[in-house]
Amino acid sequence: MLRMTLAVFRKDMTLTLLRGNGLAQALLLGLLLVFVFSLSQGIGENLSPRNAAAVFWLSSAFCQVLIFNQLYALEEVNNSRLGLLLVPQPLQAVWLGKALAGFVLLLLAQCVFAPATIVFLGQSLSGHPGPAASILLLTDAGMCALGSLLGALAQSQTARESLLGVVLFPLLTPLLLAGTGVCAQALGGASGEADAWIGVAAAFDAIFLAAGLLLFSFLYTGDE
Amino acid sequence: MLELDCVSRFYGHNLVFKDISCAFAGGGITLLLGHNGAGKSTLLRIMAGLTRPSSGTARFTAPSPKIGYLAHSTFIYPALTALENLRFWHQAHCLDKSHDLFKALERVNLTARAHDRAGTFSRGMAQRLNLARILLLEPDILLLDEPGAGLDTASQALLRKEMLDARIRGACIILVSHNIAHDAPLADRILLLEKGGLAYDGSPAFFSAPEVQACCA
Repeated sequence: MLRMTLAVFRKDMTLTLLRGNGLAQALLLGLLLVFVFSLSQGIGENLSPRNAAAVFWLSSAFCQVLIFNQLYALEEVNNSRLGLLLVPQPLQAVWLGKALAGFVLLLLAQCVFAPATIVFLGQSLSGHPGPAASILLLTDAGMCALGSLLGALAQSQTARESLLGVVLFPLLTPLLLAGTGVCAQALGGASGEADAWIGVAAAFDAIFLAAGLLLFSFLYTGDE
Repeated sequence: MLELDCVSRFYGHNLVFKDISCAFAGGGITLLLGHNGAGKSTLLRIMAGLTRPSSGTARFTAPSPKIGYLAHSTFIYPALTALENLRFWHQAHCLDKSHDLFKALERVNLTARAHDRAGTFSRGMAQRLNLARILLLEPDILLLDEPGAGLDTASQALLRKEMLDARIRGACIILVSHNIAHDAPLADRILLLEKGGLAYDGSPAFFSAPEVQACCA
């Protein structure tokens, strides 16, 4: 299973980063969100750290939807999905490979969103970055586990973008709350409860990982 | 190697076929015939495990057989090179690392285009690359859904040679085709799907000319 996971991961990274199926659209959407929120500030005003962190995670969530739509669309070009279904390996390898690829792509996008949030929304890294880094990885892991699962569900639907968004965002709420709460502290917001939020994120990661392992093969196999 | 037991398939309320029962052994080529819409491709997908039958069962009698499925879709990533495409499927199938990918490309006359993106290939070349993917697998069951469509004469000859090699290797080959004149001489057995059922199951020798004409009509 591991070899197939790595094969899917490598193929998706090659196609996304090197072969023109790039991150540009997802990055632009995220950056646009940060920029539009920066327009809501008057001259000399700054967004509160909590609001700025919320904007950062909102950008990440929208970016993630586009990333997983694109990753699963790669399999639809010449019906490669059928080829993957015929591989005598657990189908969860596809879910895991795509979740890993999405995780790396989302982290790359956040490397752009984070400085943009600081610059456009007038923030500074005055808090402890340690918990923020932990919550970033934990929240991204949960978002990608769920995104990879629901990306497979949405792929067979006509209104795939809207369906993915509609189903995904309510389920992501606990992770986004945790990410916003801890990242706000890194931006100089009121400190406290970081450990509790990290616990919440870890718990939802476990739920989404288990859901992915259990449900993916049912969703991806589909049947007409 | 493969058994179908009372397999039926409906799309909504529309019956495609009903109560198809037959068994397939290794080392033979079965030609699956029928009019458009008779359910040949659907039956092949059921055999591959890609579509569930509405009732009945399709099961493999051999443990974990390797299945090769060649259809209209080429399963190729256009932005990857021919070699990268093969490498991906090789890794995904967890095949032995000793497989020589270049040799597989050589078998389908694509060595010179190994580093070209598959998106620049013609339909025939893409199908040959798809064939190279199948050859890597050395499948026990080879399911071919009109594999000759869009192929030039040389590529069709290549496909024919690979089918015969697979038969010698002991593979079970099931071929859907409308080109009866071309493919019937290869077949050890003919199945005719008609009017929602199996109208003929037997040797090509007893598959009489009027029936062939009716099937071709």
